[in-house]
Amino acid sequence: MKRTAVYPFTAIVGQEDMKMALILNVINPALGGVLIKGEKGTAKSTAVRALAELLPAMQAVHGCRFNCDPHNANLFCDDCAKNYASNAVCHIEDIKMRVVELPVSATEDRVVGTLDIEHAIKHGEKKFEAGILAQANRNILYVDEINLLDDHVVDVLLDAAAMGINTVEREGVSYSHPARFVLVGTMNPEEGDIRPQLLDRFGLSVVVTGEHDPSQRVEVIKRRLAYEDNADDFIAGYQEEQQALAEKIMQAREALPNVTISDALLETVAKLAVELGVDGHRADITVIKTALTLAAFNEHNEVELVDVKAAAKLVLPHRMRRRPFEEGQLDWNKVEAFLGQEA
Amino acid sequence: MLLHAIYPFTAVVGLEQVKRAILIALVNPHAGGLLIGGRKGTAKTTLVRAAQELLTPRNIIELPLNVTEDMLFGSIDIEYAVSKGERRFLPGILGKANDNVLYIDEANLLRQELLTAVLDANTAGFNHVERDGISFTHEVNYTVIGTMNPEEGILPGHILDRFGMYVDVQGEAEIADRVEIIKRALAYGKDIAGFRKQYAESVAELCELVNVSRETLKQVEVTEAMMQLAAQMCAQAFCAGHRAEIYLLEAARAIAALEKRTYILPKDMQEAAVYVLAHRMRTPPEAQEMEQDQQENEEQEQNEEQQSDEQDDAPEQPDELPPPPQLPDNEDDGSDEDSDENNEQDEKQEQEQNSNQLAPEEQIADIDRSFKIPKLVLDMGKNTTLRRGSGKRSATKTDLKQGRYVRAELPKAKVEDLAFDATIRAAAPYQRMREANGCALNIQKEDLRQKVREKRIGNTFLFAVDASGSMGARERMRAVKGAIFYMLQDAYQKRDRVGMLAFRRQKAEVLLPITRSVDLAQKCLAEMPTGGKTPLADGLATALLTLARLNKKDSELEPILVLVTDGRANAVEEDGGDPVTAAIKMAEKIRKAKITSVVIDTENDFIKLGVAKKVAQAMGASYYSLNQLSKEQILRIVRNLGE
Repeated sequence: MKRTAVYPFTAIVGQEDMKMALILNVINPALGGVLIKGEKGTAKSTAVRALAELLPAMQAVHGCRFNCDPHNANLFCDDCAKNYASNAVCHIEDIKMRVVELPVSATEDRVVGTLDIEHAIKHGEKKFEAGILAQANRNILYVDEINLLDDHVVDVLLDAAAMGINTVEREGVSYSHPARFVLVGTMNPEEGDIRPQLLDRFGLSVVVTGEHDPSQRVEVIKRRLAYEDNADDFIAGYQEEQQALAEKIMQAREALPNVTISDALLETVAKLAVELGVDGHRADITVIKTALTLAAFNEHNEVELVDVKAAAKLVLPHRMRRRPFEEGQLDWNKVEAFLGQEA
Repeated sequence: MLLHAIYPFTAVVGLEQVKRAILIALVNPHAGGLLIGGRKGTAKTTLVRAAQELLTPRNIIELPLNVTEDMLFGSIDIEYAVSKGERRFLPGILGKANDNVLYIDEANLLRQELLTAVLDANTAGFNHVERDGISFTHEVNYTVIGTMNPEEGILPGHILDRFGMYVDVQGEAEIADRVEIIKRALAYGKDIAGFRKQYAESVAELCELVNVSRETLKQVEVTEAMMQLAAQMCAQAFCAGHRAEIYLLEAARAIAALEKRTYILPKDMQEAAVYVLAHRMRTPPEAQEMEQDQQENEEQEQNEEQQSDEQDDAPEQPDELPPPPQLPDNEDDGSDEDSDENNEQDEKQEQEQNSNQLAPEEQIADIDRSFKIPKLVLDMGKNTTLRRGSGKRSATKTDLKQGRYVRAELPKAKVEDLAFDATIRAAAPYQRMREANGCALNIQKEDLRQKVREKRIGNTFLFAVDASGSMGARERMRAVKGAIFYMLQDAYQKRDRVGMLAFRRQKAEVLLPITRSVDLAQKCLAEMPTGGKTPLADGLATALLTLARLNKKDSELEPILVLVTDGRANAVEEDGGDPVTAAIKMAEKIRKAKITSVVIDTENDFIKLGVAKKVAQAMGASYYSLNQLSKEQILRIVRNLGE
């Protein structure tokens, strides 16, 4: 099958927050994904699909269904762990990180995996047939209209997203395997809410709105028309920009482990979280991780207050403690005032 | 599985109470297991999974939410049946969990009948399986540890009661602790192996303590005096049943063992009470230590609540309210906050009312969040109803190929949704008798099994609200909005779909087409103006039209119409007919369309016309008068309809 052309990521006009949130997650998959909220036609899905082009290559154990990382024995699947323990030769292959889509209509057995029927009938033996969560390990799991996902599928996602393990006990098979993925969801808030627990699993969230500036809108139209007219030429026109961004992402990935943060800033973030009354500790940790990643992307060696501020804007809005019918909105002025006073 | 990536138990900052409770559960399986409640991101799951390292050589067996019954209880061994032609029992999760720890993450989201079965099997001490042509009983003895986030509803009282211990997790508030938590999370993320090494020694020590204590436990005796004390404590806490005493003593035994003693001290009992009695307490005993922290925080709010209660002329003492503050109950929390708002709102309202009186034609009533309840019977009913609301609303068996596969059955007609696993299980024992067809399994028609799927769906509620001038009078709209607000709140938890239409002046208007966004409905409700005449017939007609359209689109959902009116239909009909007759005619049409409906009559005048009642009869609706409704009743109406 010929791969259909993908609209280049760098050709998307505006929507800087969304683009940044996606890029940060590629640089640091430990951030916990991003939820993109917005009306129809605001390039949400386009951006996520376009992201595939920018994804870096990674090494994986050859033939492993879960793309195990050959350099991280701590997170091996059962098969790889067995091979590792018996010192079997491990072949490494280079694969590209990819976007795995979870359609809203997916059934649970396809998501978590199930009994391999063919194998059972032919050989009279039980074997686990991997599902979408297996493919998603070390990749990006993309759910369009995530707020419309069936409850029981959401339960499964919650489980896997929390601990990076998919445990299957169904239809005659008992199996568990690593499922660490970057969860990217898009939703149109008009079509209903997302469950609070699922919301919390997202590291970052952004709200996208249509561009209001007429000249920007014109630009959107122009590019779309040019793309539809001749996709190949259009893509070629952005080749250089794409390349540059992909390289920048790679550099940031390498720089990330060496970025530092001062204790004073850690304290600031902890105070901010207490001030805002967010639940638990995930908010603090994610703000810091995001700030570190931002610093890496901006080629800084140490996190600065601006990074924390930018991170807070992506991390906090969806974590404000929210009761039914309360707006639960982040008072950004409060955050700014707080950070200003800390500086 | 992924043993090398476990976050060390001792690296978790703070949470001493939870850690202690886990240790007790690990040391003494007879303490009845442990349920940990807490908001998201408070390291509940991390801690329980970390406990794996304290258990060796035992294991933590996880019970995933999507478990199918055959895997949970055990079933026929397919491979053995195929090769030997004999039926043999293959243990499921319960079998594997024997002598181990059974961990249920998000226990409040597990199907409740499964949760009950898991807990009951342990109490009974055996698991009895009758399925797939297998009859088998095996002993079980495991420790159940569950975690839950009460945000999505909590467990009903009778299930809570089956857990020996309950403990609540709070996030750390100390800045220094929070910073430490961040630092450790970062360090762990950077180098898992190195991080684990740092804590290896302390983890090993703790593991040793658990193992030694398990031995010591055998020698810890329960004296007559301690039994007396247990009985006394449970009586003071007004615990129902006698499970509490046993769990209390067993937990105290574990505590004594952890302290390397072979006898129980009263302080062990006190400590045990914190975990064992927290979720069973019917009335808060005076000066319970564990409550104090929270009470201090809530004192102010409670004072306010008391005041507002008094204002409401509620006869009961606030002391008799059964608020176990250790149990973060959604709606309890909500009401605490609400009371804050109430006060503000009340003030606002007073102002508004003053200004409203000047402009009677059109007004917007606030939502009466304190919704005055005429006579509230405060028995335990309150708590249990609230808890019953956990999870999603209705479990419907669906014949579409959607929903969770819960079990298999013999097909009644043509098989459309084949349960492969059950089919194979059915076929397996006969393989040696059947002719080989090139495959290991020869499946015949009589083996076929079909999936039974269950889908939890929200219901669809259409609120048809009378917004005429007569409703606006005398605060009635406020009460109406209060009542609807409660239904919406329930709908929010269950993720129902809601719609809203108002009728006033000459016509009915759909304010909100059926949507999943309960938030929007609430906004709509808040902004709904009142004024003008009552076109009741038109309101009903529009409701019918809206629901009929919906029915075509989504035949799976059974919509429910909630009509709120005082029945004073007085808008002139186009054909000049009597508005009441027209309304009753329309109501009959709704009955013919077989739409489940409820009428909430808000008529409050001295002279009652009783039109709403007649409309309800014509519609075949359940009829309630707003004056007689309490919050609980409103919720019950909604729930009964859904279930």
